[in-house]
Amino acid sequence: MIEFQSVNKWYGSLHVLRGINLRIEKGEVVVVCGPSGSGKSTLIRCINRLEPIQSGEILIDGKRLSDPSLDLTALRAEIGFVFQQFNLYPHLSAMENIVLAPMKARKISRPEAEEIATRLLERVGIPDKAASYPANLSGGQQQRVAIARALAMQPKIMLFDEPTSALDPEMINEVLEVMSDLAGEGMTMAVVTHEMGFARRVAHRILFMDEGQIIEEGSPQTFFENPSSPRTKQFLSKILSH
Amino acid sequence: MTYQFDWSVLWTGQSGEWLLQGILTTLGISTLAWLLAAALGTVSGALRTVPFAPLRALATCYVEFFRNVPLLVWMFFWYFAVPPLLPGPLQDWLFNHGAEFWAGMFALGVYHGARFSEMIRSGIQSIPKTQFEAALSTGLTTAQTYRFVIIPIALRLIIPPIANESLNLLKNSSVALTISVTELTFQTRQIETYTARAFEALTAGTVIYLALCLGIATLMTKIERRFALPGMIGRVASAEH
Amino acid sequence: MKKMLTLLVAIALGAVTPAMAETTLEKIARTGVLTIGARTGSPPFAFVDAQNQWVGFSIDLVEQLILPTLSKKVGKPVKLEKKESTPPTRIPLLASNAVDLIAETMTDTRSRRDSVDFSLTFFVTGAQFLVKKGSPIKGIKSIAGRRVAAQQGSTNARIIREQAPKAQLREFPDQPAAFQALAQGQVDTYTNDGIQLAGLKAKAPNPRGWEIVGDFYSYEPYGMALRKGDADFRGVVNNGLMEGIDSGKFFDIYEKWFGPKGELPYPMSPDIKKFMIYQAVPK
Repeated sequence: MIEFQSVNKWYGSLHVLRGINLRIEKGEVVVVCGPSGSGKSTLIRCINRLEPIQSGEILIDGKRLSDPSLDLTALRAEIGFVFQQFNLYPHLSAMENIVLAPMKARKISRPEAEEIATRLLERVGIPDKAASYPANLSGGQQQRVAIARALAMQPKIMLFDEPTSALDPEMINEVLEVMSDLAGEGMTMAVVTHEMGFARRVAHRILFMDEGQIIEEGSPQTFFENPSSPRTKQFLSKILSH
Repeated sequence: MTYQFDWSVLWTGQSGEWLLQGILTTLGISTLAWLLAAALGTVSGALRTVPFAPLRALATCYVEFFRNVPLLVWMFFWYFAVPPLLPGPLQDWLFNHGAEFWAGMFALGVYHGARFSEMIRSGIQSIPKTQFEAALSTGLTTAQTYRFVIIPIALRLIIPPIANESLNLLKNSSVALTISVTELTFQTRQIETYTARAFEALTAGTVIYLALCLGIATLMTKIERRFALPGMIGRVASAEH
Repeated sequence: MKKMLTLLVAIALGAVTPAMAETTLEKIARTGVLTIGARTGSPPFAFVDAQNQWVGFSIDLVEQLILPTLSKKVGKPVKLEKKESTPPTRIPLLASNAVDLIAETMTDTRSRRDSVDFSLTFFVTGAQFLVKKGSPIKGIKSIAGRRVAAQQGSTNARIIREQAPKAQLREFPDQPAAFQALAQGQVDTYTNDGIQLAGLKAKAPNPRGWEIVGDFYSYEPYGMALRKGDADFRGVVNNGLMEGIDSGKFFDIYEKWFGPKGELPYPMSPDIKKFMIYQAVPK
């Protein structure tokens, strides 16, 4: 479903992705972790081309991202993206946030789009917040609206970039639960997160990145119980000691 | 020796009629110029932030060219330099049908459009980049992202400076008297000519401009509250309900 | 409301109010300076010449006729200072004490006499029309429906509005803009005092392409304006002018600017010469 072939990316002279090779299969849930600055966010931002790459190739469903005839807008519509800072549209209510893209990009009628949105708000557990504006929602509620907004386009892939890092601790679980449900429904997901409990429970595979490279890759069990790289061990000891 | 005030000159003779005409002309030219400025400013301000370089360059040219030349020069430009480019009969028709007003309106609109443009650009640039990315990642095109997300947010952010600039536009409309537009300042001078009562006429003009500006400021505050981004200035507004 | 407005203006003028207690002569005796308001672009009355000097007929009248009389009166030499004044600014400049005397092309009218006083008449002209040679406009009777430029704040605009209401009046703040509009066809004619039009025509790139047409449709006696009610100062100004008329110096100065070799040839008619002489009352 998603394939990286020797992908390299630089920010100026900074080499942030170094020869990444990776395959994510349909229905697979992959968690990407690593210290900050390791390139994990960049990795998933490359998947819907929010970041361009300088060499190598990324294929989505067999389509090459470098293909000049690629319909990028249509491709992005198939890939949901959830940001650390939620990025809801502050001038629109939760309902309007969700129906905007289906109505404008998919040309779905308003009643139909609202029906979808109502279902999604129910699914993320805040059916009563349709009329609320982002500023009047808690962080956890905002992030759940953001997930509903991404799901409204019926994407084939969902990408999460540290979805719980900006949340107060008591709100983290409500978001992780929604994500777990989504994984349980068979969604293809790539999640950058520090939530190791979530990784252990939900991920099919965990990647550990450092300095632009994938250092370690394996099932949760091997990753947590028997990591091979000393850097992974060091990272895990820091993060699990909390 | 002290100046003897005679306020009756403001309502005797034709003064009242002239002042009213002046107010209507000032409001007319300012309103049309404002609409033109808002349209030009929004489009060019947005274009100055797009990724496509030639469009950015085009918008930059417009802004730098028009805001760095004095308004008076633009008045003369539209009144004296543009008509000779038109065919003769059209010129004559225009000169018989308020060419002064339209030249003044274009000068004001295009000049303030360039100034609006800068505000809209800074408004757009103050929106985090991730807001663009969020809209793009849901499958909206760049144009849709601007139209439905970025510009609506930017416009709300810049209401206060735009209000200020709108007041400037209203006051600057008086420059149109240099090309014989009979707006408010012109009419106050007219009263002075007829009555030789300079202070009374100027005071009347000042008070009317003040009233118009206060009216616009109040209207803008209402708009600001109505369209406030919830959670920002809106908190103040909703607390009053 | 009326009281409030008065108060508002009084506050605005607050800075100059204390000086108002003093008469103009007292002020000149104290400072040794007479400040006049004049135009910079109104040849030959007052203009900046090729040597960058601010000169002209009305400036000469002040310098050569009024200053000597004034110096004698206050008992010390008086220096002349010039400030730019324009139709819309001249009365406020005077009222705020920024200048003491307006020496330019200001027509003495009854309504202006409500707010300022005038000296003797020092020049007489009347309004006419400047047109492109061959224009159908021949005078005030033939301007109905035509686009007529006039100067803002001038008496001419007022007369056109009253006597030729069908003309389309366009009022410009200054002469260059009005002439530009005439040259480019925005207007069909430009009306102003005959003497002003003569000056404009003489300066035009192609003087023969223009014609001054029509009888005087207005009577424009130019006087120097001063603050109302200051009879002593007015007396000194008038005495200076009358002495100049008596001695013939006034006519020499006229000849210098309007004679055949002057800046703008515009001979004084015998009638006007008589009028000037009759203005000078006996000693």
